Amino acid sequence: MNLDGMRHHALNEAVDAVVIGTGAGGAPVLARLAAAGLRVVALEAGPNFAPAAFAFDETLADEIYWTGERLSGGTTPEAFGANNSGTGVGGSTLHWGAFVPRPDRRDLALHTETGEGCDWPVGLDELVPFYERVERFIGVSGADPYPWDPGRRYPLPPVPRNGPAEIMALACGQRGLRATDAPAAVVSRPFAQEGGPEREACINCGYCHQGCRNGAKASMDVTYLPLALRHGAEIRPGSVAHGLERDASGRVTAVVYRRDGVDHRQLCGAVFLCAGAVETPRLLLNLGLANASGQVGRNYMGHVATQVWGSFPDPIRMNRGYPSSLISEDMVRPRDADFAGGYLVQSLGVQPLTLANAVARTRGLWGPALHACLDGYNHLAGIGINGETLPCDENRLTLSDETDALGLRKAQISFGYSENERRLNAHATALMRDLWEAAGARDIWVLERVAHTLGTCRMGRSGDAAVVDPYGRSFDIPNLWISDGSTFPSSLAANPALTIMALALRSAEAFLERARDG
Amino acid sequence: MPRSDNSPDLLVALHFLGGSARTWEPVARRLAGTVGCLALDLPGFGAAAGTTGYDVAAMADHVAAAIRAARPRRFALAGHSMGAKVALALARRSEDGDPDLAGLSHLVLVAGSPPSPEPIAEERRRAMLAWIGADAETRAREARAFIRQNVGAPLAPGDEDAATADVLRAAPDAWRAWLESGANEDWAARIGVLRTPALILAGGDDADLGPAGQAALTAPHLAHARTRVLDGAGHLLPLERPDAVAAEIAAHLAAAAPADPAPARIPADYAALIASERVNPRLRAALVERAEPDDPAYAPAALDPVALALLRAVVARVLPEAGFDIAARLDARLASGAGDGWRFSRLPPDAHAYRAGLRSLDAAARAEGAPFLARDGAGRDALLRAAQEGRLAVPETADPRLDAEQMVLWFEDLRADAVRTYLAHPATLARLGFSGIGAGGTGTPDPDGLARNLPGFVRTGRNDPEPWEPEPWEPEPWEPGQSAPAEAVR
Repeated sequence: MNLDGMRHHALNEAVDAVVIGTGAGGAPVLARLAAAGLRVVALEAGPNFAPAAFAFDETLADEIYWTGERLSGGTTPEAFGANNSGTGVGGSTLHWGAFVPRPDRRDLALHTETGEGCDWPVGLDELVPFYERVERFIGVSGADPYPWDPGRRYPLPPVPRNGPAEIMALACGQRGLRATDAPAAVVSRPFAQEGGPEREACINCGYCHQGCRNGAKASMDVTYLPLALRHGAEIRPGSVAHGLERDASGRVTAVVYRRDGVDHRQLCGAVFLCAGAVETPRLLLNLGLANASGQVGRNYMGHVATQVWGSFPDPIRMNRGYPSSLISEDMVRPRDADFAGGYLVQSLGVQPLTLANAVARTRGLWGPALHACLDGYNHLAGIGINGETLPCDENRLTLSDETDALGLRKAQISFGYSENERRLNAHATALMRDLWEAAGARDIWVLERVAHTLGTCRMGRSGDAAVVDPYGRSFDIPNLWISDGSTFPSSLAANPALTIMALALRSAEAFLERARDG
Repeated sequence: MPRSDNSPDLLVALHFLGGSARTWEPVARRLAGTVGCLALDLPGFGAAAGTTGYDVAAMADHVAAAIRAARPRRFALAGHSMGAKVALALARRSEDGDPDLAGLSHLVLVAGSPPSPEPIAEERRRAMLAWIGADAETRAREARAFIRQNVGAPLAPGDEDAATADVLRAAPDAWRAWLESGANEDWAARIGVLRTPALILAGGDDADLGPAGQAALTAPHLAHARTRVLDGAGHLLPLERPDAVAAEIAAHLAAAAPADPAPARIPADYAALIASERVNPRLRAALVERAEPDDPAYAPAALDPVALALLRAVVARVLPEAGFDIAARLDARLASGAGDGWRFSRLPPDAHAYRAGLRSLDAAARAEGAPFLARDGAGRDALLRAAQEGRLAVPETADPRLDAEQMVLWFEDLRADAVRTYLAHPATLARLGFSGIGAGGTGTPDPDGLARNLPGFVRTGRNDPEPWEPEPWEPEPWEPGQSAPAEAVR
């Protein structure tokens, strides 16, 4: 993004807040605090990109993925990097899928409903105004009406359906499931971005996950970050935060970060840690901070994100169009469920390497069978879910004995499904298989996949059982706030980024309120 | 025999342990009309029995001095067994620019000892060390037995007498030096991958240095090697099969220089798409770079040459006829340290996992009777299937080693890494009929770093292609030279 004319703050000037990370958790905080007149500096570990230089290529897109190595274990080891972890000004929103369903009201109170999982310390009614603000600001395209929430209105009409979406619509029609155009943070029309450059309409290139070149997709570098800059915020790319200095009372006084091989120390009045559900707990564990509850690193969650693929007689060319342009929320509470919670269903188109990686790695094909599958790329279409994962004590992020270039210990993540995830997965797999059979797919196969990174610094009402309060403030360190997917007490069936942004605005406003109240 | 411009005017020939220049006489006679033969006695053997300097480097010096004196314009280097290891060391010196060896044009490795430590059964090694210094009667008996043990069928009595006499003529210290150290010297890293065109001759009934040993240990060091197996022959091929050896050498020396492999072909329509304004310049440059042909003598940076050959063999089963050298590109990526952001916590770091995984696969193959590289496609597939299914029996002695469960994960990683490299190549994208590269060129860059006015796709639905979108295309097959099966000669 264009950083020309950006305001600069001196290292020895105690800014009001340092925001660590510029993704969906950090960028809205930065913009909101700057808009309130605060002096704020964001530290971004990755580089600053010019989106025009993204190249429509899955290998060249390596530059926007977090490639610092993580160790993945447990019974369902999750892939990181391109699967869910980004880098650069804009964070993971540079590569996110921009699929922005709101969570279902029941998911925020799952324990009350089912006795499983846990309740959030905030309800949907309190969040809806934040969702609406985010959707209006970043430009969400979606169906009108939205079948599962008749009062909801999206600011922009839907993006065009691609081949997989057409097929899923057909199959859902045959099986009596409701499906509609997905809510996508991709502008279907030219969009006057508040505080930023005008965004052109989506060109249906299909490369959301490799970096949007024209700004149609709502990554933070074309939405909240330009707004933040306009209000005087500073963004420092290539700056890896690795230390927090504190005074005698325990309050953070400075953030230590490394840029171009040199350590710097930015004085500050408060810190927002927004590095995601892996790097945030990893930093806290490395520093031994904010963990009186013992909860840092615990209840790591990825979504059950199983996909079903099949081959169709017609050419699909699924590389074209917004990749997940159809949604069904009918399975948020399936009538015949033998599990707590539920899942969203979406249509899927993926670029060839993403497909090939799944075919070779998870489907386990090689030799002539691998070639046969890949050679049929233009005829493939997929359907997938995003399903509830309950918090679980065994699923945990700890520190490995191996260290990175900065001397920080690497994250080791142990993740596995429990009975609830297995049952949900079996239900979803049977449903998707049936839909794809209804659509006339041949050579149907199932891709087991885990998506997103959530949990590890859960929010709650008590410092005994949670790392941060319902607004994201650390129970242990009063001027340390966390704003990212790590604070989620449970996974929700909805994809997380919209909720991360909504919570970020809410955290920022709580912070401002406290500052006002002294 | 027709001569090519590449043909040498001298064949320098080196003998086996216990042989001498005389070992090559039958072959030299048969090649008389084709190429002159300079058969040498290595230090401690034949007429050079009084010369010392028994390690591989010293023997190579000795030979280099003889070549310098002979001043050939172009020469071929043939080594039999022990002599082959010396020949490989000299070939490395030649390719590294040693002016005395500048004219080296061809290698001939006859039942050759490999660059790495030679596999010899410990019992046999001990017995050979024991009798060489014994009384004359024992020496005479054992020397003859040694010759008989190393042939597929009995030599003519006169030839056997001469070969036995050569053994007895050898300096016992030279004999011991080879068995105790020379054969164990590890030249694998120094020799690396040689560019010189090579002929590998193997006796079908040879034990350790037969076809399997050559495929597993020597061929990986040669970018341009052809292996010929002399069925029914043992280890002493120049004495056993002078006709066949001479004929094979003559054919090898007359063959045209190996052509560099053609780059994977990209059909004209797809090449035109790549060149068009629909493809952005950064992607176009990357595609052009990925389409560059691979160096057949690529020197591996993360793996050793044998491991690279194993990786090529595995990749050829995972993605048969991919069209380019995926394994070499994987090695380069491993050496760069660039990762994908995670690894299975059950596996060591990537490069180590590859070394250990390949070693373990080969160790399991050997435990079941033949090295991985000596197996045919079905045999290789069976081992890979066992690895995938968690039932590969990896011997405890493999070092470095992955256990069966780790092999499942490593083979999964390997498949993912292989398709990543495969899908990056424009020939692959053409094969798929992939249109995504054409989603937009430069557009109109604006000061905010955004590209405006990109064409993208207007049509997104199924069965609704845009007129310019490419159709799938079937490329021509390609196999790396080293995986070509050995040809049998009867």
